[in-house]
Amino acid sequence: MSSTDSLTPTRIRELVRSRSLDHVVVLGANGTMGYGSGALFTQAVPKVTFLARTKAKADEGLAEAIGQVRSPTVASRVETGDYDHDLERAVGEADLVFEALTEDFAIKKDMFDRVEKARRDDAIVATVTSGLSINALCDGRSDSFRKNFLGLHFFNPPNVITGTELIAGDDTDPAVLDYVDAFSRSRLGREMVRTADTPAFAGNRVGFKVLNEAAQLAEELGPVLVDRLVGPYTGRALTPLATIDLVGWDIHRAIVDNVYEKTSDEAHATNELPAYMAKLIEKGVLGNKTGAGFFKRDGKARLVLDPVSGDYKPEAEIQVPALGYIDDVAQLHRQGRYGEALHVFLSAEGEHAAIARKVIAGYISYAFHRVGEVTDTINGIDRIMGMGFNWAPPSVLVDAMGKQAAVEMIEGAGLPVPANLAEAARTGAPEHLFEHPTINPGRFFVAG
Amino acid sequence: MAAGSEVYVLGGFQTDFARNWTKESKHFSALMRESVLGALETCEVAPEEIESAHVGNFAAELYCMQGHLGAFFTEVHPAFSGLPTGRHEAACASGSIAILAASAEIEAGRYDLQAVVGIEQMKTVSAAEGGAFLGTAAWYEEEAEGIEFPFPKLFGRLGDEYDKRYGLKDEYLAEISRLNYDNAKLNPNAQTRTWYMNKEHALCRTEDNPAVGGRIRIADCSQVTDGAVCVFLASRDYAEKYAKGMGKKLAEIPVIKGWGHNTARLRFDDKVAESSDDRYVLPHVRSTVTSAMKRAGIPDVSGIDGIETHDCFTTSEYMAIDHFGITEPGESWKAVDAGWLEIDGKIPVNPSGGLIGAGHPVGATGVRQLLDAHKQVTGTAGDYQVEGAKTFQTLNIGGSGTTSVSFVVSR
Repeated sequence: MSSTDSLTPTRIRELVRSRSLDHVVVLGANGTMGYGSGALFTQAVPKVTFLARTKAKADEGLAEAIGQVRSPTVASRVETGDYDHDLERAVGEADLVFEALTEDFAIKKDMFDRVEKARRDDAIVATVTSGLSINALCDGRSDSFRKNFLGLHFFNPPNVITGTELIAGDDTDPAVLDYVDAFSRSRLGREMVRTADTPAFAGNRVGFKVLNEAAQLAEELGPVLVDRLVGPYTGRALTPLATIDLVGWDIHRAIVDNVYEKTSDEAHATNELPAYMAKLIEKGVLGNKTGAGFFKRDGKARLVLDPVSGDYKPEAEIQVPALGYIDDVAQLHRQGRYGEALHVFLSAEGEHAAIARKVIAGYISYAFHRVGEVTDTINGIDRIMGMGFNWAPPSVLVDAMGKQAAVEMIEGAGLPVPANLAEAARTGAPEHLFEHPTINPGRFFVAG
Repeated sequence: MAAGSEVYVLGGFQTDFARNWTKESKHFSALMRESVLGALETCEVAPEEIESAHVGNFAAELYCMQGHLGAFFTEVHPAFSGLPTGRHEAACASGSIAILAASAEIEAGRYDLQAVVGIEQMKTVSAAEGGAFLGTAAWYEEEAEGIEFPFPKLFGRLGDEYDKRYGLKDEYLAEISRLNYDNAKLNPNAQTRTWYMNKEHALCRTEDNPAVGGRIRIADCSQVTDGAVCVFLASRDYAEKYAKGMGKKLAEIPVIKGWGHNTARLRFDDKVAESSDDRYVLPHVRSTVTSAMKRAGIPDVSGIDGIETHDCFTTSEYMAIDHFGITEPGESWKAVDAGWLEIDGKIPVNPSGGLIGAGHPVGATGVRQLLDAHKQVTGTAGDYQVEGAKTFQTLNIGGSGTTSVSFVVSR
């Protein structure tokens, strides 16, 4: 997982010219990630084949793709078909096969059996999986398949969210990896982050840890207070529990269960799905897609879940402490005084401010602890949290509050201080931890 | 300009034009703050060094319910308290007018280091309301009142005038749009860099690309943008000191070699009537371009390595092409057709993506153009760099070709 920054503009231009990518086949084109990614490919690829179980389903995917990006270009570059009639022919012609089937190992494995037989030896095979292991998915396949197999993890919806993870298997050809990296950056406008083949890769590993901790806190504090405490003023556009409702409780469970089962890091307990969520998921509470999660709409009113009873109450009836410090922080953000704003947060008194600091300290501590495990440097985690989650990257928070203040916040929360952050605080170098020539750090601090 | 009174451009900072500061719940002052602090950091200038500041802005009173913008500069840093500041307005040319004022003060020897901030926050209101605000850049009562989106219609008429005098095919306008969007994909600060746009879409003449004013379609329009740009202008004395401190030679610091500035009558009809016997549709714009070249000692466009021009609509870029002298009057289509305007073409136009691709925060545009010219001639424009560029020219236009300002920047 060498750093993507090693690709210079000149090298990117050379790589993009080094081979042609004129035909992409999307498998599972009726799913959200299938048609969203398919639409994205039509920006830069002259022919994109949408395949699904039936042609009618692939046509539905095409209609969704057109609706998502509102351009006639999509229809003129897409052909549709089904697995029974069209897969072998289309895959045989494809330069890139993009797999976006449901997140089920056996289903993907069966599909790759067919792809392996039909593909050209030089065809790249990419999976958009967010949870399954890249090495496991290509285990036992031919040399040429394993050399050309990789994870290309777009975030939903890909036409809006540019952050993208690129995951190599043990046998992926570095030249193939460099090519997909360069093509995705320069032709698809992606912010590319290379990650290791570890559970949930980088973005979901760090992001869902924070979301799940918020869900754990909601059992005692209630959803309204939690979303206020870990709200926009902490560096995100969308509050954590509203995010889980948007993503879907089932998806949330799949990600955190996978991480909880396969990892044993210093913050293991925060990745355990709260029991009340497991119980409610069994009853069909899956978030926005089922009309109810932490929040649900009742006409104009918003109803809020009581995690203990499973009942919903109008938001207006829920009492939340005043938390004046949040308004002070927001007002400073509003005027672009981000450093001063974070210092008000750091020095805010009361148990609730301390809880909020613990979540943010946990985010920073967890991210810096993952360096070397999920990415080579903090820069990769920073970029995927910024451009994949639209959250203030850990380094942006540290830069804005100061490295020593960040260390003290983590200590104050009773959490382990990552050695790399402690070292940066001790030496003062580098001056800025967040390294990106063009991302404005201020964009992540929302005053709402 | 007299020897010894050159105006040097040290550099500056542009905010990401894709940001929506209303969605971030940010006040106008945050936008100014990020641009100025960004410029101080990028140029490695200490705040205490700044002696005066000029703010270019079109209509913060309308968009943000805020006037007295020069005073907001003092809010950025404690060292700025007490500095002489002011605000300049000339519709979409406001940023360039601020640069002219700052340059004049340097030439007069009043100050050695000036900050110029171009700024506009536009996403505070609906498209229709914003369209009406922009109508105040025309003669509002005569040309804009009661008209939905008056400016696309005015610039549609510029296309009509070309059509009448010389003939104009819409496919060339679509090609201008396509080029600006393509270039914007190379510019990490461009508003449209991730938009779904390609040649086929820009050329499309269906509901996916609806007409908004005569021959002007959505893909022909510049954007509604929140953005600010800050640049530092310096006297020769300061630039010498600065270059030394940065380990550079003075010759490596770009200079504003020439400027042009004209104001035509407000109403589009009056401008066109005045030019009925002229080879140029907007002769005052032509004069702005040529006077800047003349002051820079450049005979014609062959002495320019690239242009950042005012493509508020594709028709304004179409007009700029012959007004710069890239082609004979009325033959702009030839340059479009031949690919001369591409980044690696004979005379690259809007490598940044221009107002269509990079975005158009009205009062910031002129300053953004100057900063992009600076980036080009210092070889720091990244993916949209015009190879080997030594001299760039800008053209910034307020109203329907009313106030025009042009700068030639060279190293």
